[in-house]
Amino acid sequence: MKRRRPAPLDYLARWPLRAVVAAVGLFLYAPLVTLVAFSFNQGARNVVWRGFTLEHYAGALADRELLAAFGNSLTIAAAATAASVALGALAAVALWRFRFPGRAAFAGGLALPIVAPEICMGVAMLVFFARVLPWPAGLPWPLDLGPIVIAHVAFCFPFVAVIARARLQSFNREEEEAARDLGAGEWQVLRDVVAPHLGPALAAGALLAFNLSLDDFVITFFTSGPDTVTLPVKVYSMVRFSVTPKVNAASTVLLLLTVALTALAVRLQGARALARQA
Amino acid sequence: MERSWGRAKGAFAAVFAPPALFLLAFFLVPMGIVWAFSFGENAGLTAIAVTGTLDNYARALSPLYLGILWKSAWIAALTTLGCLVLGLPAAVAIAFARGRAKAWLLVLVMLPFWTNLLIRTYALIAVLREEGLANQTLKGLWSLLAWALAGAGLHPPPFRALELLHNNTAVVIGLVYVHLPFMVLPIYASLERMDRSLLEASLDLGAGPWRALWDVALPLAMPGIASGVLITFVPAAGDFLTPDLLGGTRSQMIANVIERQFKRANDWPFGAALSFLLMYLTFAAVAGRALMAGRKAARR
Amino acid sequence: MVRGRLGRRSLLKALGAAAVGISVGGLDGCGPGTGRGRAGGEAPRLNVYNWDTYIGRTTLADFRAATGVDVNMSLFATNDELFAKLRAGNPGFDVIVPSDEFVQRMIAADMLEPLDHARIPNFRNVAPGFQDAGFDPGRRYSMPYTWLATGIGYRKSRVDGVPDSWKWLFDSDRYKDRIALISESADVIRLGAKYLGHPIRGVTPELCRQVEQMLIRQKPNIRVFHDDNGQDLLLQGEVDVVMEYNGDIAQVMRSDPDLDFVIPREGSLLNSDCLAIPKGAPRPGNAHAFINYLLDARAGAEISRTILYPTPNAAARALMPASYRDDPVIFPPQAELARCEYGVYEGARTQQMFEEAMTRIRAA
Repeated sequence: MKRRRPAPLDYLARWPLRAVVAAVGLFLYAPLVTLVAFSFNQGARNVVWRGFTLEHYAGALADRELLAAFGNSLTIAAAATAASVALGALAAVALWRFRFPGRAAFAGGLALPIVAPEICMGVAMLVFFARVLPWPAGLPWPLDLGPIVIAHVAFCFPFVAVIARARLQSFNREEEEAARDLGAGEWQVLRDVVAPHLGPALAAGALLAFNLSLDDFVITFFTSGPDTVTLPVKVYSMVRFSVTPKVNAASTVLLLLTVALTALAVRLQGARALARQA
Repeated sequence: MERSWGRAKGAFAAVFAPPALFLLAFFLVPMGIVWAFSFGENAGLTAIAVTGTLDNYARALSPLYLGILWKSAWIAALTTLGCLVLGLPAAVAIAFARGRAKAWLLVLVMLPFWTNLLIRTYALIAVLREEGLANQTLKGLWSLLAWALAGAGLHPPPFRALELLHNNTAVVIGLVYVHLPFMVLPIYASLERMDRSLLEASLDLGAGPWRALWDVALPLAMPGIASGVLITFVPAAGDFLTPDLLGGTRSQMIANVIERQFKRANDWPFGAALSFLLMYLTFAAVAGRALMAGRKAARR
Repeated sequence: MVRGRLGRRSLLKALGAAAVGISVGGLDGCGPGTGRGRAGGEAPRLNVYNWDTYIGRTTLADFRAATGVDVNMSLFATNDELFAKLRAGNPGFDVIVPSDEFVQRMIAADMLEPLDHARIPNFRNVAPGFQDAGFDPGRRYSMPYTWLATGIGYRKSRVDGVPDSWKWLFDSDRYKDRIALISESADVIRLGAKYLGHPIRGVTPELCRQVEQMLIRQKPNIRVFHDDNGQDLLLQGEVDVVMEYNGDIAQVMRSDPDLDFVIPREGSLLNSDCLAIPKGAPRPGNAHAFINYLLDARAGAEISRTILYPTPNAAARALMPASYRDDPVIFPPQAELARCEYGVYEGARTQQMFEEAMTRIRAA
C-alpha cells in the first residue's frame, strides 16, 4: 500500500484543502515575490527591471532616519500590543462574566473604535493631544511616543476583545464548576481556569494588534511629530515619486527578521515539547 | 454562569475598570469633541464654532453621499465574501494541522501582513498592471496553449491582457488582500479549542470528514465566523488607501470623500458629520444583528 | 497540549521585536548633540518638513559640514497634509515647504513667522521675477524654492503629433482609457475653465457646473485620477497622456526618450513651492540659516541637478549645464509661459465648491 489514508480530521492532507491553501499562498505571496525582486533592481524607480544590485540594501541600512522610523514602529507596536491584549482580555471577561448596569452600553462602546473611520479618530486624537491633554514636548525616547501608543491601544484593544469574547462563548462551564467545587474563589477561577482557555484567542489577538499597530498610517499621521516618525508615515510621504527600492530592501529585511524570530521560537518550543515527551 | 457584579465587587472592578476608563478617556472624549464639530461650522481657516447647526448632516444625507455610502457597502460586502471564501478553508486547514505545521502555517498566513501596507499595495500594483506578473504569467500560459493547439491545427486568438488595475475589481482584490487575516484569525481561534470529541462522535455515527466539518464544526465555530465577518466588513467599508491607489475613476468610496473633507476641503465639520453618519449606520446594522440573534436564542 | 505553546511563541516574537526596536530606535536618541551651538543658544538641530526627493543628494550633509547643524527631514505628500498637520498647532517643525496658494492661506490664518531678510543675504540670488509675489507681498513670509508648470506629459509613439490642447484630456475620446488626470479638484476644475476660455481666477458656480458636466461626459475616457504619480503611470505604459508637472516629466524623460511634455495652447497653471518658517518654530535662528543656505548658488545647483525642477535662483541656474538651462521642458519658452497664470486661494467656499464638483464627477 503506497499511500497512507489520512486520518479523519487531518484535513490538510486531503487535496481539496491543500489546493485552497496553495491558492491562498499564491495570492498572498505573488506581490511579496515582486517586492523582494525589485529590492535588487538597479535604478531609482520600482517600475522596470534594469539589473541586479545590492546598493539599496546598503542604502537602507545606512539611512538613519529610515532605521529610526523602523525602530519607532516596532517599539510602538510592541507596547501597544501588550496593552491591547491586557485591556481586551479584561473587557471580554467583564462582559462575559458579570451582569452590571450599563453592560449593553459598554459592549456598544467597545464596538465603536472598530466602526469609527480612521481619519475621524485621527483628527479626534490630534485635537485631543493639542487641547485636552497636551503631551509634554521634549521628552526622551521612548516616552515621546506616548500619544501614538495611546491612540494605537484605543483602536486595537476592541479587536482583541471581539476575538476573546467569541472564544469565551465556547468555554466549558463544567471546568469552572469543578474548580469552584474544589474551593477556588472568584479571582482564582478567573486566573487559573478562564485565562488559559483564552490563550489561543489572546495569541491571535496579539498577532492582529501587532499587525494593526505596525501598519497604521492614518491615526499615526495625526499623532506623530517630526521627532516621532514611524515607518508607514515615512513611506506614505514618499508616494509622490513612488516607493523607492530602498524601502523594498528595508521590508525584505523585516520579513527575514520575522521569519528568523519565528524559526527560533518554533525551535525553542520543539525542544521543550520533546523534553516533555521524554 | 453569570454573576451580578455586586457579588464579587473586587474582581469586577479589577476586570472592568481599566478598559472602561481607557475607552472613556482616550476614545469617547476625543470622539466627543469631533462629534461636537459635526454640529458646527468653520469660523475662519483653523477655528471651528460649534453652533448646533444641522446643515452638515443635511448635506451628508443628500442623494450624492448616500449613493457613495451604498457603493462602499456593496464593495465591502464583496470583499467580505472573498475573504470568507479564501479565509474559511485556510482557517480550517490551520486549526486541524498538526504540530510544527500549524505554527508555520499561522506565521505564513500572517507574514505578508508584517510588511507595510503601502509597500504591499505597490507590490500588488506591480502584479496586477498590464505588464505585471499576473498578465505575464497568463500570457505565458496562453502561448503554451497556443503552441499545443497549433499542433492540432487550431489557432486561438492572440492574448489580450486582463485589465486588473484601476477599476473596482482591483479594489476588491486589494481589500481582500489586506483584510484576509481579520477573517482567518477569529475563525481559527474559534476552531482551535473546539471540543474534538463532538467531531469524533459524528465520525463514529458514520459521517464522512467533510460532512462532519460542514454539519458539526462550522456551526460550532459560528461565533468566530460572525466576528470575522464583522471585523472584515466594517474596516473594508472605511478603507480609503486601497481604493485611492488601486481604484479607477469609478471607485470612489465614502472614506475617500471623508478624507478629502478633512484634508483638501478643510471642512472638518462636514467630514465629522459624514464620519458619524457612517458610524451610526454601521452601529445600527451591528445592533440590529445582535438583536436578531438575541431573539433567535430566546425563541429556542 | 496546544495550550501554552502559542502564548510562548507570540511572547517570544514580541520580545524579539521589542529588543530590535529598542536597540535600533535608541540610536535616534543618541543623535549628535555635539557640534557648534548656533547663535542664540539654539541646539544644533533642525526639523524640516518637505516633499519627498525634493532636496539635493548631498545638501543636508553639506549643510551639516558648513554649520554643524543636524537636519531631520520629514516628508509630506500634499499641501493639505501639511496644513492639516499644522492646523492645530506646530508639532515642532522649523522649516516647511508649502506651495504658493498655501502660503497665502497660512498667512491669512496667521500660521507663519515673518522672515528676517537681514539673515537671508542670498536673497539677491533670486531671479527678479520672483523677488516679489502676489501671494506674499514683499516676500515677508516666504522665499521661493522651485516653480512649476502644469501641462501634458505624453508618449510620443502612441499619440498623433503633439497633443497641445486640453481638449485631448477633457473633451475627446481620441485617447480613450489612456488618460490620467490629477486628483486635485482645484487644479482640474480651474484648468477646465481655462480650456473653456476663462481665466484661472474667478470661476463662478455656473462655470464650475459647466466644467463638471464636461468632465462627467469625459469620465468614461479617463483611466485614473492620479495622486501625483502620473509620471510613473506614463513610464509604466498604463496611460499615454497625463496631466502632470513639468519637473516630474523631466525626471522620467531621462529614463525614457519616448516621453515628452507640452504646455497646452490654451494656457495653464503655474505654482511655486516656497520655504517658510511656521509660527512656534523652536529654532528660528537655524531655520533662517538653512533657508539662506538653500538660496546659495552652489547649493541651489546641487538641488536642481537632483530634482530637475525649474529654479527661481538665477545664480544657481547660471551654474547649471546647458542641458538643464536650455531644456524646453524645464524652462518653457516665454511665449508659452505668457499664457499661464498663478492660482489664487479664493476662500473656503470656492474650495468647497470645487471639492463637491469633484465628488460628483467621481461618483457619476
